[in-house]
Amino acid sequence: MSSEVSELIRAYCPSFSAKHAGRIVEDTSEFMSVDHGDVIRLGGRHYLVLRDECEQRFGIDDPKYWVKRCREMESGERRILKLVFHETFPIKLGDFEIRCYRSPEKEARILNLVRGDLRFMQGETIPDAKGNPVRVLDIVRGRRLDLRVEDIDADHETYFHEHFPGILNKFMGACEAISFLHSRWEKHGDIRRDHLLVEYETGAYRWIDFDYAFDFHENPWGLDIFGLGNILLFLAGKGEHTTQNLAEKGFSDEVLSSLEPDDFTLMFANRLANLGKLYPYIPRELNNVLLHFSIGTYVFYDHVEEMLDELRPCLRLLGGAG
Amino acid sequence: MDCKKILVAVDGSENATRAVEYTGEMMHDSAEARILLLCIERFPDRDLFPDEDSWKKNCEEHRRKMQAFLQEARFILEGKGIPSEHIDVRYVVSCKSPFADRAVARCSHGTSIAQEILAVLKEEGCGTVVVGRRGVSKAEEFLFGSVSSKIMHHARACTVWVVE
Repeated sequence: MSSEVSELIRAYCPSFSAKHAGRIVEDTSEFMSVDHGDVIRLGGRHYLVLRDECEQRFGIDDPKYWVKRCREMESGERRILKLVFHETFPIKLGDFEIRCYRSPEKEARILNLVRGDLRFMQGETIPDAKGNPVRVLDIVRGRRLDLRVEDIDADHETYFHEHFPGILNKFMGACEAISFLHSRWEKHGDIRRDHLLVEYETGAYRWIDFDYAFDFHENPWGLDIFGLGNILLFLAGKGEHTTQNLAEKGFSDEVLSSLEPDDFTLMFANRLANLGKLYPYIPRELNNVLLHFSIGTYVFYDHVEEMLDELRPCLRLLGGAG
Repeated sequence: MDCKKILVAVDGSENATRAVEYTGEMMHDSAEARILLLCIERFPDRDLFPDEDSWKKNCEEHRRKMQAFLQEARFILEGKGIPSEHIDVRYVVSCKSPFADRAVARCSHGTSIAQEILAVLKEEGCGTVVVGRRGVSKAEEFLFGSVSSKIMHHARACTVWVVE
């Protein structure tokens, strides 16, 4: 236990148990050893480490040892500190395995680019004593968009007419945010349902986590667009429609037998893209956008703007603010 | 349009070797054929490396391989009977190169190899462009893109040979 840490705790966080006081950390290279009660000193400020961040995978907590939930001692605000971890790992997308890189430099660059743009998480990058670019992030107080949608207590038709237009409108704003990144030659890199949060206070849709980098060249925005398509399918369908769960959803045999391989998504052959076959009130124009992500498509979106150009008339058709 | 002024785009792959061999076979008895072997340099993103040195090392290695491949492609063509003076070799360096040579008149931004090839094709007035193709699936094309598909879709006023 460091006496300096004990003094800081006494001064700034008296409710924190002094018996957990650890040490002052100025070089964060060995992030595995930075633990509860340690204090990270960065740029003249002090961050009391509360715990490692966790991600839920398959219902199990997956600790991210390089991401620390902290309290900024001087302000009392909660922060997330992402320490430098240059990791290379494969991610599985349908039948493909893609080499993915975790790049602190990329995330730091994007944080600079989107400073003040509340469509994205906010934060700053402060080098530690060894020059490691530590990202000090504000916590987005919000809930995953997909969980919000799943919780809407309505059948699909009611949801589609009453809730979806507003959701689509905001989702298109989130797509515009990604298009902005692309216009500056940056990729989000990890567009997933759990990386789009709805802020409790404002209802704003905000993207988090930009540190994934990939080596895609001829179609640099492909993976981001694929991610947006997946989210759009989820939102339009009020959940995923897979060969496994279709039978439980009460569709007639006639509808189910009309489904063909081309109706499913390009990357996941068990996930339905042609939702218009299940829900005939989905306008053809919107269903055509969904079909761009199906096995049957011959035309791909190269840019997010192309998708938005086709979504805007859909929003007007649905009576949303288009 | 001079259809015997042929641009062969190569990237060090087996598909590119097939494209070079095919071009040599097709043109070996044509006294008028002029072949431009073109390689657009594209380095991996800097983001994929923990530090400048490891990125630079990778870029050096990549450049060495591409230039050796161009030399090999020239030998293949000569071996098929194309006179050496009828073969030009062009290596377009990357604008994002960590080396000092990026300030040349033409450099590659690396965002679309296909667009870079088409730009050289137009500048040089070539009537034929040759590319190899891996035969990617629709899903792969969606995610990763395809140089040969883009060339097929966007090439104008020329003939496209896609060698499988």
